[in-house]
Amino acid sequence: MTVRKAGVIGIGTMGQGIAEMLAFKGLDVYLVDQCADKLAAGISQIELSLDKQIEKWALTQAEKKQVLNRLHPLERIEELAQCEFVIETVTEDLEAKKEIFEKLDRACGPEVILASNTSTLSLTELASVTARPERVIGMHFVYPVYKIDLVEIVRGLQTSDATFERTKQFIEVVTNKKGVMVFESPGFVTTRLICLFINEALHVLEEGVASVEDIDSAMRIGYSFQHGPFEMADRFGLDSVLAALERMFREYGELKYRPSIVLKKMVRAGHLGVKTGIGFFKYDKDGDRT
Amino acid sequence: MKVLVINAGSSSLKYQLYNMMDESVLASGRVERIGMDSSIVTHEPADKPEVKNVSEILEHTTAVRRVLDLLTDAKHGVISSINEIHAVGHRVVHGGETFKQSALVTNDVKVEIRKLFDLAPLHNPAHMMGILAVEENMPDIPQVVVFDTAFHQTMPQQSYLYAIPMVLYRRHKVRRYGFHGTSHAYVSDQAAKFLNKPLESLSMVSCHIGNGASCTAIKDGKSFDTSMGMTPLEGLMMGTRSGDLDPAVVPYVMNKEDLSVSEVNSMLNKHSGLQAISGLSSDMREITDAMNEGDKNAKLAFDMYTYRIRKYVGAYAAAMNGLDTIIFTAGVGENSVVLRKAVCEGLTFLGVELDEERNSERSKVTRRISTDSSRITVLVVPTNEELLIARDTYAIIRESSDYN
Repeated sequence: MTVRKAGVIGIGTMGQGIAEMLAFKGLDVYLVDQCADKLAAGISQIELSLDKQIEKWALTQAEKKQVLNRLHPLERIEELAQCEFVIETVTEDLEAKKEIFEKLDRACGPEVILASNTSTLSLTELASVTARPERVIGMHFVYPVYKIDLVEIVRGLQTSDATFERTKQFIEVVTNKKGVMVFESPGFVTTRLICLFINEALHVLEEGVASVEDIDSAMRIGYSFQHGPFEMADRFGLDSVLAALERMFREYGELKYRPSIVLKKMVRAGHLGVKTGIGFFKYDKDGDRT
Repeated sequence: MKVLVINAGSSSLKYQLYNMMDESVLASGRVERIGMDSSIVTHEPADKPEVKNVSEILEHTTAVRRVLDLLTDAKHGVISSINEIHAVGHRVVHGGETFKQSALVTNDVKVEIRKLFDLAPLHNPAHMMGILAVEENMPDIPQVVVFDTAFHQTMPQQSYLYAIPMVLYRRHKVRRYGFHGTSHAYVSDQAAKFLNKPLESLSMVSCHIGNGASCTAIKDGKSFDTSMGMTPLEGLMMGTRSGDLDPAVVPYVMNKEDLSVSEVNSMLNKHSGLQAISGLSSDMREITDAMNEGDKNAKLAFDMYTYRIRKYVGAYAAAMNGLDTIIFTAGVGENSVVLRKAVCEGLTFLGVELDEERNSERSKVTRRISTDSSRITVLVVPTNEELLIARDTYAIIRESSDYN
C-alpha cells in the first residue's frame, strides 16, 4: 500500500508537527481546522519551523517550498474523504473529538483509516460514535514530531488487525519512525511513565532534597536524558503535564498520579514553560534557555 | 537487437532505447514526479518531434507501461512491438562488495541488491522498484544490472580501507567503494582508443566533474584509487557537498550547534561545497559568471574547487608513481574551459602543457587539449554512462543465451 494523501484535523502544536513531517516525507497533506484564520496561522507557524530547520541546515530553500506546496487547507471535514489516513489532533476534549469522528465516519469510505493523536482519551469511546469502529486507531506522536522517531500505535477494543497492520506499515515505511503497539490505557506507555517521572522529581524538589538545577543535571547526565525532568516539563507545557496527571489520577485512582502542589501552583501563576517564556527555567522566543 | 536502458529514481525514471547493431539511440526520455497526479512524461524519439504529457502515474509499474506505450505508439513510437526489445539494462548505484561487474538479474541478484539498501538508502530501493516494474510489464525479457561501484572493486586494500578498527569493516562493510564507476570505465576506455594505445599501458587520472565530482586513478586499465568513499560525500568539493574534511569537525559542530545526525548529514550534503563558500549557487556556470563580475566569494569557491582537483591529480600521480593521461569528463569537466585551465595551470611541474586554443574549442567528441609536446596528455572525453550500460547488457545477454 502506498499512502499519498493524509488528512490532519486541528492545526495546533501537534497538528503542525505532524502535517510538516508528513509533507516533508512527500505526502500531500490536507488540513482542516475550525476557521480559515486558524489554518493560516498554523501554516505560517509551519513556515517558521521550516525556517528554523534551514538555519540548522536540515533543509534547503527548495525543500521548504516543496513542503509548503504539499499543504492544502480545506474548509470542510467532508473533503478529507480523498485521503488514505486522517489524523485528528484537536485539543483533548472528548466531546469535540467525538463530533469530529462522527462526521469523518460518515464522510470517509470504509478503507480510510481514522486516527487520533490523543494521549489520554479512550479510543474505544471515540470509536463508539462511528459505524465502523474497527478502522479507528490511535497514533500518538511525540513532540517535536520531526525529530522524535517514535509513535505509539494505540489499539482500541475494536480496532482490527488489518487497521493496525496498515497503520504500522504507514508509520514505519512512510514516516520512517518506530511504531510500538500499545493497548488502550490512560497515558499509554510514554505519557504514563514520563509524567510519573516528572511528578516524582517535583516531590524530590518539594522535600528539599536537591535544587531544580541539580535534579535536572543528575538525571540528564546520569541517565543520558536529553533534558532533565524540569526542562522536559517546561518543554511539554506544565498545563499539559498537569492535565495528563489529573486524567490518570482520575482513571487509575492511585495516589502516585496525584499532581504535585508545586505544579498546580505554577500553572495557576501562568508559568507554563517554554510557551510563556517561564516555567522552572526561563526561555527566549526561540525556545532556547536563557 | 534492441536494449532499453533505465535509470530509476524514487520519483523519476529516465530511459534510452538503443539499437545495438550500430549503437544508435532510437529514443530517450524521462518520467518525472512519479507518485503524483501530475506526472510528466517527456519522450524524445530520434527522428520525430518531442512529446510531453501530464497524467497521473502513481508508481513505477505504470511509469514503465507508459514508456513502453510511447515506444510502440503508432505516431510517436520507434518500434512496432514490445517484443523488439531484447533486454533491459538498469543503472544501480551501489553494488557493495558483491558485484564486481554487471550481472544478469536473477532472484539471488535481487536478494543481494536488497541487502545493500542500508549502504545506499536513497538509491538502491528506487532501482529495485524499476527492476520489479520492468518485470511486471515484460516478464520474459532478461534484465541486467550495471553498478556505479563495480569498476572500483579492483582497488587494492591499501586504497579502499579506512584506518579505523577493522571490526567496522567486517561487521558493517565500512570501506571506500567509490562511485561514477561506469563513467570512469567508459572514458578511460575511450581515451585509450583515442590515443591508440592499450588501456593497460596507461596511467590515468579521470576527473568526473559534474554535480557530483570524483577523481579516479586508473592503472593497468583498472581503478586503483578513487576520491569518493563509502558514500559520495568524500573527496572533491562539489556543488553542495563538502568533500574531504577532518572527521572531528562533525562531532564538534554537532555539539556546538546542537545538531542531530540528520541535520549534520544534510549540512554536509546539501548546504556545503560551492553553495556554501560562494553563498550564491551550486552551479559552476553561475560561479564563473559571478567571478568574472568580480565577486570575491565566487572566486574563493572556484579556487578551492579547482585546488582540490589539482591536489587529487597530484596525489594520484604519486600513488601510481607516474601519470601520462588526465581526462576531464561530465557536465563541468566537458564544458568549463576556465575550470580545466585553472586545474592544468598548477600542474606544469608534472609536465602538463595546456594548449589554450584547443582547450577553448567547444565540441562533443573526444579531444586533446594539451600541446603535442606536453609530457602528460590531457583529454576531454564526453561520458556516456547509458551507452556503457547498454553495451554491458548486450554482452551479458549474448553470453547467457543462445542469441546471436
